[in-house]
Amino acid sequence: MKKIILSLAVLFVSFASMAQKPEYLQTMGETLGQFSTCKSVSDFQALGNKFQMIANAEKSEWLPLYYNAHCYIIMSFMEPTDAAKKDSYLDVAEKTIAKMIELVPNESEVYALQSFYFIGRLVVNPMERGQEFSGLSAQAVAKALTSDPANPRAKMMKLQGDIGSAPYMGLDPKSFCPQAKALLADWDNFKPKSPIHPSWGKDQVEGIVKGCQ
Amino acid sequence: MKYSFLFILLSLVGLQAFSQTVIIGNVVQEQGESLPGANVYLQGTYDGTSVNENGQFILKTKKTGPVDLRVEFMGYEPAVQKIDLKGDTIRLNIQLKEAFNQLTAVTITAGTFEAGDKKQAVTITPLDMVTTAGAKGDVYGALQSLPGTTTNGESGRLFVKGGDSEESQTYIDGSLVYVPYNSTAPNLSTRGRFNPFMFKGTVFSTGGYSAEYGQALSSVLLLNTNDMPAEDQLDLSVMSIGVEVAGTKLWKNGAVTGSVTYNNLAPYMNLTTQNYNWIHAPESAKGAVNVRQKTGKTGMFKLYSSFNKDAFTINQENLEPGGSPFDYHLANENYFMNASWNGHLSEKWAMNIAASFTNNQDDIHFDQTLIVKKIVGTHVKNVFNYLFTEKFSLKFGGELFAKTFSQNVRMPAEIHDNSFTNNTFAGFTEAQIYASSKFVTRIGARVEYSEYLKDTKLSPRLSVAYKVTNNSQFSLAYGWFFQNPVDDYLLYTNHLNPERADHYTFSYQSLVNSRTLRIELYYKDYKNLVKTNGGEFYLPSSYTNLGSGYAKGLDLFWRDNKTIKNGDYWISYSYLDTKRNYRDFPEEAVPTFASKHNLSVVYKHWISGLRSLAGVNFKYSSPRVYNNPNSSVFNSEQMLPYRSLDLSWSFLYRKNIIIYGAVTNVLGFKNEFGRRYASTTDEGGNYLSAAIEPSSNRFYVVACFITLTRKGEANQLDKIE
Repeated sequence: MKKIILSLAVLFVSFASMAQKPEYLQTMGETLGQFSTCKSVSDFQALGNKFQMIANAEKSEWLPLYYNAHCYIIMSFMEPTDAAKKDSYLDVAEKTIAKMIELVPNESEVYALQSFYFIGRLVVNPMERGQEFSGLSAQAVAKALTSDPANPRAKMMKLQGDIGSAPYMGLDPKSFCPQAKALLADWDNFKPKSPIHPSWGKDQVEGIVKGCQ
Repeated sequence: MKYSFLFILLSLVGLQAFSQTVIIGNVVQEQGESLPGANVYLQGTYDGTSVNENGQFILKTKKTGPVDLRVEFMGYEPAVQKIDLKGDTIRLNIQLKEAFNQLTAVTITAGTFEAGDKKQAVTITPLDMVTTAGAKGDVYGALQSLPGTTTNGESGRLFVKGGDSEESQTYIDGSLVYVPYNSTAPNLSTRGRFNPFMFKGTVFSTGGYSAEYGQALSSVLLLNTNDMPAEDQLDLSVMSIGVEVAGTKLWKNGAVTGSVTYNNLAPYMNLTTQNYNWIHAPESAKGAVNVRQKTGKTGMFKLYSSFNKDAFTINQENLEPGGSPFDYHLANENYFMNASWNGHLSEKWAMNIAASFTNNQDDIHFDQTLIVKKIVGTHVKNVFNYLFTEKFSLKFGGELFAKTFSQNVRMPAEIHDNSFTNNTFAGFTEAQIYASSKFVTRIGARVEYSEYLKDTKLSPRLSVAYKVTNNSQFSLAYGWFFQNPVDDYLLYTNHLNPERADHYTFSYQSLVNSRTLRIELYYKDYKNLVKTNGGEFYLPSSYTNLGSGYAKGLDLFWRDNKTIKNGDYWISYSYLDTKRNYRDFPEEAVPTFASKHNLSVVYKHWISGLRSLAGVNFKYSSPRVYNNPNSSVFNSEQMLPYRSLDLSWSFLYRKNIIIYGAVTNVLGFKNEFGRRYASTTDEGGNYLSAAIEPSSNRFYVVACFITLTRKGEANQLDKIE
């Protein structure tokens, strides 16, 4: 009798511990799948909320924070005119990115996302913020590439930064087309560390390559 | 036995598998409006949902037992509701309270123009301070296109709300700058000593300012220098009036910048028409070192040190009967140093400690007279800030102003040597209380003791602000402001008391759709101003504090950077009504430095095809008064109105090269600032006179700014944009 209870107890305990990570992976996978269905600011808000909830349940994981910040950055780009609203979404992303840097100080994907966040700030008021935030964005990309020179999202942010500043360097933006094509061709060679690690960005590079035609 | 155990075990499992609790609710704000998009979830689980457009949510969960339901939305305090999941339906009404955020809460704006980057109450940014055409790259020049200031073209200094230029004091990183302007000849315009690009934030307080500051009857200008630079760089500035080279080197958590500047207006003055006869055009050389070091997690140490020499000689018409033109020569040596540290001592304690040292000497030589004036000044200040809660903080501290002023006059038949030392001690305390996000009160008091005058003064300060709607607020400020009499009087006597001004300020500000409107009404009551008895200037024992005056006015400010695409403009209008009876005034009269109507229109446009920023600035000031000793009525003459149309153009040639050009008074309006008179009459009993004109009708400047870095991406755009 004791043996049965004991073995049942052990079975329950092991089920319980296995269930945590699989549930986390499963929920993350499902939620990530909803990215493609999001069309409006409120869709991304709802998606960001889900990642916030997962982050709250898994305090040691940085990936839920990553996607939560990503949603808010996208929301700031999607918000049509209200600068104060854009900045308030970016305020949330800023706090989330700070938490991520504390959790994983050397993660390349975090710095690549931070570079995207700085571009979000710049876009709110390019005349006033252009100088400061293009510099900060470039610094974040540099950190991302130092941490992982193969990270395609970091390479993409660097490429977009170079294209954006080309007129001011006296360069033709089209001179970066070979780089864009090479990045696109190479994109699928990068294997994310897990099915729920970041893999976005290919569409943006495709867009750049289309503009080269 | 084992069957019943297994049965219990299985039924427990069954309970978990088949029971589902449904939570239905709505989420609203305090005023009852729903909050779509709010996040609703069970703490520590994956069960959650978002509030829909109607403010409602439905959350289903298979979990059982007690759990915390969290409702969160940015800008609001999270709400936690304890519920017990028993497989039934739970209905909830959740109300979220707005979160208190100092950056978006109401701020005290009465009498304050803050140029920073984060706060919502900001109406101008640090870039605005320097990109205004006509500012000529001078901090004080830029401030003169803001309401509450009067442009005095023959001075160039800051005249705020009916106050004389000595009534405004300048602070850098918390410590006083005793000599903020370059030395100049009488009636010749001057400018600030500091490169405006050094500063990241500015608080220009035109009245009613915090108990932390004193010894300024009208206003304080608080300048904050830039924090850490981004990378090593070499900056070259080549201008039509001089060159500057600055090198910056970074190390972990610290940086040093060394700069060398040389200016010589001779080539420029030879090319353009000047109203004055320059024997030796203004020439100056300056070296400066600037160190910043982060200490710990929150601390920042800054040190700035500069040495500056400049000289000029101008040939002036001699108005005295029988006099011949003479050379007026001035040589100035200025050594300035300031250091500051600010940071957090703990989560609730913040501290700022600052000190400055100035050693400034003017050697003036004209018509057989030699005057040497020297100021040696030290300022030390320590401020503590304790955060009781997010909504209640207390600031307190103390400071010492130690100044020695000496003047040595050598004339053919006379020698006059005078000097005095005045140490003024001050202590202050101030509480800032947010009753809510919408209502804030700041109440404080300040005590000042002057060792030289043997006088103690207590001044109360009070200001409140109330946010009427999300985008608009009212603000009121009241306080007593004391200032020791100017050096020219203290040099001869210490039987004087500090002068006093009581400020009453009301301000309304709204920011809707990127358009800012600001209206300010003020009244200043001047008391205890120094008075001399008519012509008895040379009798210090006759000096009294019986002078008085008033200043009242209305300031309007409108800024719009949305209506015109790529365009940004502001309109600033000030109405000033002031009279005073002080110094040698025979009666209460309008002072020379005040003008009734002041208008400034600033427009900037970004032309992206040309990678250029074009700027236009129009200024108008109604005629000021001046005194004609030949007339029996005091201050009865009127100058011409002041008008100027200034243009500037910045061209971003490369990302690290900027070409800049500016012209002031493009249309060549004739500006004249009254007349100067002889001190003795001619045979006819008249005082001869000459017009006071600007040194030239138009001023041109052309410059090229180059920034060299390892990566070639930084530039000085933020200096010029």
